[in-house]
Amino acid sequence: MNKIMLSCKKSTELIEQSQEKKLSFKNRVQLSLHLMACNTCKAYAQQSKTINMAIIQFLQKDKTDDKNTIKNDDLKEKIISKL
Amino acid sequence: MNVESQDLKQNAIKDWVHLYSDGLYSWALTKVSSVEMAEDLVQETFMAAFATFDKFENKSKPKTWLFSILNHKIIDHYRKKNNAHQSLDQLTELKATQYTDSLFDKNGNWNSMEINSLWASEPHLLDDPIFNNALKLCMANLPEKWSNAIHAKYLLEKKPDEICHELELSTTNYWQILHRAKLLLKKCIENRWNP
Repeated sequence: MNKIMLSCKKSTELIEQSQEKKLSFKNRVQLSLHLMACNTCKAYAQQSKTINMAIIQFLQKDKTDDKNTIKNDDLKEKIISKL
Repeated sequence: MNVESQDLKQNAIKDWVHLYSDGLYSWALTKVSSVEMAEDLVQETFMAAFATFDKFENKSKPKTWLFSILNHKIIDHYRKKNNAHQSLDQLTELKATQYTDSLFDKNGNWNSMEINSLWASEPHLLDDPIFNNALKLCMANLPEKWSNAIHAKYLLEKKPDEICHELELSTTNYWQILHRAKLLLKKCIENRWNP
């Protein structure tokens, strides 16, 4: 039998999934009900988004930031000589 | 391929080396631990670009194309890294799984309902060097497979089905890994905040 009330573990899993795909109708209802009753999971939803942004900031920082570019002319020579 | 187009290709790649190799190298340096490794990855990137030049159809900018090749090389590098090179902080998958399980009781509810006060400064957290440093250290704790999935998702911006395919994961497995990785990061950041 499917319980209507989700556990916190399941809810946090659905929170993660909901950031990438549309949840089923049933899951959406279950999750909203759970979040109405559980402040810790409600806080988790926000924390999870903050962590997402922090990961992106960390992984993608200075990807296109020219002022952090380190010049390496030896490497250029080396690559061109191999072409 | 005739001589003329061979020359054309060589000149195009040479131009790209002058224009983009510093940028690629600087990017690689932030992702791997040694200068040598970063240089190797950039070299491999240009070799791969040279070999598959015909597939580059000016649909994307050369810079974008080169960065995407490099990012794949970086992921491969992490994937190939065996246990001998495993960083000391990196948890085994079993330990990490046990740890994330221990956050919940037998019914799957939080063992501690308390909301850590660090999250109260939410809008400013991303500018906080202490927070960002905690995240960086915690990312190094992730087991290899989890770290690969996180890099593929956030660095390469891959869709779940692509990640499953490339890392040979089932969909269920992917969602579990993502869920557990996020739980681990959350808890690890909190622990570093108020040990």
